[in-house]
Amino acid sequence: MKVIKESLAGTLESSDLLVKVAPSDKGSLDIAIQSEVIKQFGKQIERVVTDTLNKLSITEGSFVIEDKGALDCVIRARVQAAVLRATGSEDMDWRKLS
Amino acid sequence: MIAKDDFYTVQPKDVPPEMGEIRKLLATNELELDEQIEVFVVCRREGRLVACAGLDHYTIKCVAVAEDARGESLSLELGSEVIKLAAERGHFHLFLYTPSHNQQWFRGWGFHRLVEVPHFIVLMENSPIAIKQYCESLREQRPPGKKIAGIVLNANPFTLGHQYLVEKAAAECDWLHVFAVREDASLFSYPDRFALVESGVKHVANLTLHHGSDYIISRATFPGYFLKEKEIVDHSWAAIDLLLFRQYIAPALGITHRFVGTEPFDAVTNRYNADMKYWLQAASPTPPIEVVEVPRASVHGVPISASLVRRLLAQQDFSAIKELVPATTLQFLENKYSAHLSATR
Repeated sequence: MKVIKESLAGTLESSDLLVKVAPSDKGSLDIAIQSEVIKQFGKQIERVVTDTLNKLSITEGSFVIEDKGALDCVIRARVQAAVLRATGSEDMDWRKLS
Repeated sequence: MIAKDDFYTVQPKDVPPEMGEIRKLLATNELELDEQIEVFVVCRREGRLVACAGLDHYTIKCVAVAEDARGESLSLELGSEVIKLAAERGHFHLFLYTPSHNQQWFRGWGFHRLVEVPHFIVLMENSPIAIKQYCESLREQRPPGKKIAGIVLNANPFTLGHQYLVEKAAAECDWLHVFAVREDASLFSYPDRFALVESGVKHVANLTLHHGSDYIISRATFPGYFLKEKEIVDHSWAAIDLLLFRQYIAPALGITHRFVGTEPFDAVTNRYNADMKYWLQAASPTPPIEVVEVPRASVHGVPISASLVRRLLAQQDFSAIKELVPATTLQFLENKYSAHLSATR
């Protein structure tokens, strides 16, 4: 899937995260993660984000994430929601998301 | 007991009853109501207005939370609401103004500092990487040379005065970067203005014409600029715009000189030129950019200006306009704005 427009998912509230997606001008994949628990869980958050993007076959786009200590399942859900909005997908393969 | 918070939006143009409360909340936080705000997110708790955040297109301003409502993450809800509101209005890349001492607060909203006018104000954006990516895209277009000039034009529309300034800067420097202001807040649309600049500078070999961006004379970096036709001169926010140019754009392209026309008519631009010398040459540890003020080109002793062209256009005086603009601009104006032509179509 391809990011064709900007999108947003999530909130800034505790145990949630805000995901902001934009198309990439140069066709690169850029992920920027800020988190209140970056020292303890930065690597784990990054893994969940990249895994989720891989499963959705996202290879380009700009992803800015502001994490407020969300659980992995929440991170996955917010990233998926943001991607679905950014790709304008109707024909989603939902099995890939599980 | 958990207080019930009610978030909703109000538009200052509707003169809602909330405006008095908003003003009061801002005043107790040493903020003034910014007249350019299109919409406010407010939070009401037990009948009282306890928080507000204003949105001017893609810039957040006038954010305040009542003192007794702090310390319980109300601000994060407020941030979520205003960011969501901006997204609904089509704005994802956002900017934010805050007094210097509150920056940390907005880090929690996902905003990062771009530039600071010390002890006064900070401009932030909601991305840790956007400005870097922008500068990298500029760096790819960096030409060789020692004396590199930059000019920023609104070109509303492109005149012989602009052309003279461009030719002069190009002749004096190894390379010239011209930026067209992208914000669509002028009489002529951005695509039209850009096309006129493009055809008007085509003959200059050592020049790169750049599209403008949110980082150069935009509603975010210089809100006052776009008010000048209304003859409202706000505080000069020029410092923010100029520091962005000095700290990010100029280093990315190796710009050493900024060329600008003298300004006999327009108070905002005139002030901008004066500010330019201060903020580009002094006032910051970043290497200075030399400001070169070029006397305006004149016709029959009258300095050429775009505002004069606009006035003449309103009077449909094409023979007078002809002396002030290149042939390409004249043709555009005649095709698009001649009352005679549009009446016969």
